[in-house]
Amino acid sequence: MNPLPVVLNATRRLRRPTLWTLAAVGAMLGFGLAAGEASAQAKTIRIGVPTAMQLQVGRDTQDAMKMAIDEVNAKGGVLGRKLEMVVADETENPETGISAIKKLTADEKVDVLIGGYTSGVTLAQLPHISAAKTIYLNVGSASPSTNAKVKTDYDNYKYIFRVGPINAAHQARQMTGFVSGFVKGELGLSKIAIVGENAKWVQDLVPLLKKGATDAGADVRTTEFFDSQTSDFSPLFSKVKDSGAQYMVVILSHASSDIFAKQWHDAQFPMPYGGIDVKSMDGDFCERIGAKSVGEMAANFAVRAPLTPKTIPFFDEFRKRTNRAPVYTAFGAYDAVHIYAEAVARAGSTDTDAVIKQLEKTSYVGVPGTIEFDDTHDVKPGTATYKGPSFLFAQWRDGCKREVVHPKELRTADFVYPSWIKK
Amino acid sequence: MLEILIVGAVSSAIYAMLAVGFTLIFGVARILNLAHGTFYALGAYGAYFFTSSFKLPLLLAALLAVALVAAFGIAVERVLIRPMRKSQLAMLMITLAVALVVEQALFLTFGSEYRNVPAFVDAKFTIGGVSIGGARLLALGVGVVLIGALWLFIQHTRMGSAILAISQDAEAAQYMGIPSDRIFALVMGISAALAAAAGVLAGPFLTVQPTMWLLPIVKAFAIVVVGGLGSIPGSILAALMLGYAETIVGYLISTSWTEIVSVAATLLMLVVRPAGFFGRRASF
Amino acid sequence: MFRKPVDLVGAAAFLAFMAALPLVFRSNYLIGVLTVSVIYGIWAVTWDFMSGLTGRENFGHSLFIGVGAYTAGFMNTTFGMPGWWSLPAAMVMAVLFALLIGLPTLRLKGPYFALAMLSGAVIMQRLMLIFWEHTGGEEGINGLTPLIRNQLGFYYFALATLAAITALLLALARSHWGLILRAIRGDEATCQAAGINVTFYKIASLTISAAFAGAGGAMYAHYQLQVSPQLFAVVTSITIITMVYVGGMASIYGPVGGAILLVLLTELLRNFGEWRLMVYSCVLIAILFFVPGGLVAPTWRRIKAARGWGP
Repeated sequence: MNPLPVVLNATRRLRRPTLWTLAAVGAMLGFGLAAGEASAQAKTIRIGVPTAMQLQVGRDTQDAMKMAIDEVNAKGGVLGRKLEMVVADETENPETGISAIKKLTADEKVDVLIGGYTSGVTLAQLPHISAAKTIYLNVGSASPSTNAKVKTDYDNYKYIFRVGPINAAHQARQMTGFVSGFVKGELGLSKIAIVGENAKWVQDLVPLLKKGATDAGADVRTTEFFDSQTSDFSPLFSKVKDSGAQYMVVILSHASSDIFAKQWHDAQFPMPYGGIDVKSMDGDFCERIGAKSVGEMAANFAVRAPLTPKTIPFFDEFRKRTNRAPVYTAFGAYDAVHIYAEAVARAGSTDTDAVIKQLEKTSYVGVPGTIEFDDTHDVKPGTATYKGPSFLFAQWRDGCKREVVHPKELRTADFVYPSWIKK
Repeated sequence: MLEILIVGAVSSAIYAMLAVGFTLIFGVARILNLAHGTFYALGAYGAYFFTSSFKLPLLLAALLAVALVAAFGIAVERVLIRPMRKSQLAMLMITLAVALVVEQALFLTFGSEYRNVPAFVDAKFTIGGVSIGGARLLALGVGVVLIGALWLFIQHTRMGSAILAISQDAEAAQYMGIPSDRIFALVMGISAALAAAAGVLAGPFLTVQPTMWLLPIVKAFAIVVVGGLGSIPGSILAALMLGYAETIVGYLISTSWTEIVSVAATLLMLVVRPAGFFGRRASF
Repeated sequence: MFRKPVDLVGAAAFLAFMAALPLVFRSNYLIGVLTVSVIYGIWAVTWDFMSGLTGRENFGHSLFIGVGAYTAGFMNTTFGMPGWWSLPAAMVMAVLFALLIGLPTLRLKGPYFALAMLSGAVIMQRLMLIFWEHTGGEEGINGLTPLIRNQLGFYYFALATLAAITALLLALARSHWGLILRAIRGDEATCQAAGINVTFYKIASLTISAAFAGAGGAMYAHYQLQVSPQLFAVVTSITIITMVYVGGMASIYGPVGGAILLVLLTELLRNFGEWRLMVYSCVLIAILFFVPGGLVAPTWRRIKAARGWGP
C-alpha cells in the first residue's frame, strides 16, 4: 500500500502554509524580543555605535573602534571596567537612525554613543539623544548645525560632541586656502569652476568657498550643483568646459565619485580637478575604477604620514587587522574611544555630567592631529600655529599611489598634470 | 548641439533596452516585473564578477552573465511568479520581494561601494568635434542591433508570431495549440537577457551599486506606460523622448531638474492620453 | 450595517493587547517602535480604504504623508504654531493635494493610475530637494516640538487615533459607500450607467484617504521631531502597499496587523546585524508566496469560521 497518501492526509493540517509562515514570523519576533533583553554586565562600560553598517564608513567605524577598545582593555580598561561595543544600523534613513538611537539608549542602555555618518540622520537623532541624556561623539557628519544647539540650549544639548570631521564651515575655509594658495598661487590657474553635489552641507559650504576664492583673486567662472543620484556627468562637464575654467573644484560626498572620475578620465577632460571627494579618501578608490582617478587631488584628513606620533602606527595596525586602508570615520572613531576613556578616567566615574566636564577639557593627540573642542563641542581645525586636524590634499599617481601635494610643509611630491593635459 | 544629439541617443538606447524587455513581458504575460531592474543590476555585477574573480576575458564574461541572468529570470518566472498569476498585484509584490532579496545579496557579497565593470572599448572617439567615449557608442550600437534583432524575430519567425498571438489573446492562442507556459518562459528569458545586456554595456560608465535596480525600473515603468503597455514601437519612441528630454534639460538647465521634467512629462502624458502613444486601451 | 459582536470583541481584545504591550515590556525603545508601527498602520488603513476597495492601486500614497508632515514642519518651525494646529492643517493640505492630483487622473486605472500617483510623489520629493533653501533639502526640517512629551502618552494617543480612523473607515466600507466603491472596481461603466456619480465617489474616497494619511504624517513629524524628503520616496509608498498586502487587501482592519507586524519585524531583526534586511526580505517573499491572501485578515476569518463565530 502506498504510504504517501496516508502521510499526506495525516499531515495536511501541519503542512498548511499559513501555519508555518505564522510560526516562522513568530519565531523571528520572539528571537528579536528575547535576545534584545540586554545581557549587560554591570561591570563593562557599554559604547553604543549608531552607524551605517552596510557602507564602508560603517565597517571602518566598527573596526577602528574595536581596535581602540582592544587597546584600552589590554591596559586594564577604564576604572577597572572593560569597554564593550554594541552596534545598531542607522542606514541613511532618519527613521531607522532614530530607532537605532532608541534601541541603543532605551534597550541596550549604553553609557555613550559613538558614531554617525549622514548629517541628515544625525540631525534627526539629536532631540532623541538629548532626551536620553546620553553623550554622543560624532565621527562622521560635517554639518555645522549638529552642534549649533550646544551653545544656545546647553542644558539639553551638552551631550553632543564632534570628534571628526572638521565641520563644513572649517572645510570651506581650508578649501579656500587650497584654491588661493595652491591652485592660483602655485599652479597659476585663476579661472575655476565649482561643482558640488546637492547636499545641504555642500550648499552651506559653497557660498563661503566662492567668497573666499574671489577675495583671493580667483575667478569663479561657474558654480554647478548636481543630484547625488546623477550617474551621467556629460552635461555637467560640458557646462564646465564651456565656462572657460582651468581647474574644476569639486565637493563630493555621497555622490558617485567613482563614475565622476571614470567619466572625467574617459572623456579626457581638459582640466584637472580636485577638492573634497569623500569616496576618494578610500584606499582602494583608484584601483577599483581601473586607475582612472590618477591626477585627481582629493582632500584627506589623514594619510599614512607622520602627522602625529599616532598616525603611522594607526594605519599600520588597521591594515594588519582588516587588510584595508581606513576611511575618515575610522580616525574619528578610534580617537573618540580613547578620548572618552581618558575623560572617564579623569572624571573618576561614568556619571554623564562629570564626564562632559572632562570631555570639554580634552586635549588629545589623535590620528589626524590634536583634538580639542571649541565652545560648541566641535573639533577645532588646524591653523598655522595649532596642530589640529586639517585637510591634506593628496594626488593620485601612477600605480595608484597617493602623494601629499598641499600644504607645502607636508609635501611628499610635486603636482603632476594628468597625462593628456599639455602644460 | 551635436553633443546633445549623441549623448541623448546613448541614454535613449539604454532606456530602450530596459523598456522593451519590460513592455514585452507585460504585453505577453501581463506581468509587471519589478525585478526587471534587478536583471540590469545582475548583468553589470555578473560582468564585474566574472572578469575580476575568474579572470575571464570580457566578451566571455559578458555572454556568461547575460545567459545566467536569462536563466535566473526564467527560474523566477517559473517558480515564483507563475503560482501568483491569479492576481496582478500578487505578481508585482513578489517580483518586488525578489528585487529586495537580490539587492541585499549584492550588498552582502560585494559591499556597498562602487564596482568597476570593464569596458569593451576604452578609447575616446571624436565625431564632428564632439568627443564621446567608446563604451557609450558601443552601448548605442549594440542596443540598436539587439532591439532591431528582437523586432525582426517577432515579426518574421513562427516563434515571434506565437508571442504576438499570446499577447493579443492568450486563451485563443492556447486553443490554437500555442503552449503559453513555454512562451512565457521564452519571453521572460529574452526580457531578462536584454536588461542584463544593458547592464553589461552601461556598467562601465554608469553606477554599479547594489541599489542600482530601483531607478531604472521606475524609469522603465514610466517609459512603458507612456509608450503604451505592450507596444514595442511605443516603448522605443517613449525611450527616445525621455532620453532626449533628460539630456536637453541637463545641458540647458541643470541636472537637478532632469528628473522633474521627465516625471512631469509622464504625468502630463497620462492625463492627456492615458493609453500612451500606441496603447490599446487605458485599462485591462 | 453594523459589525458583528465577535468582530467588536476581537478588535477590543487586539486594542487591549496593544495597550498592554508596553506595560509588560517596559522599554522606551519598544514604545517607540510600536508608536511608529501604529502610525504606519494609519497610513496602511487609509491606503486600503481607497485602493483596496476601488482597486485603483495608489503608488503615490507617500505624497499625502509627506504633505502632511511638511505642513506640520513648516507650521511648527517657520510659523511657530503649537503642534496641535498641525493636524487639521495637515489634513487640509493633504485634501488640497488629493484634489490637485485626483481630478486630472480620474479616468486612469491600473498601472496608469499607479504611475500617475507615483509621479506626483516623485515631483514633490524633487521639489523639496531643489528648493533646499526653504525646505532644508536632504536634511529636512528639524526641531519640531513633540505633540505629547510623555512617550507612553503619545503611544496611547496614536493608538486611539488609529482605532478611531479604522472604525470610521470600516463603517464607511461596510455602508453603501463601500458597496459603491467595490462596484466601481467591478465595472465602472455599469455604475455610471446606473446613475451613480462615480466621479464623486472616486474623488471622495481619495480625499478621505489623503486627509487621514496627512494627519498621520503630521503625527509622525511631531513624534520623530523631524521631517525629511525620504517620506515622499517611492520606497515609502511601496512599504505601505506591502503592509496592506500582508494584512489582507480590502479588509480595512487587516492592514493594521500588517503594518505592526512588518515594522516590528524590521526592528526586532536588528540582532541579525548586517543580515537584517536580507532576513526581512526573505521572510517577505515567504509570506507573499505562501500566504498570498494576506496573513492577518484571512487568519481572523479562518479563526471565526473554525470556531463557528459567524462570518
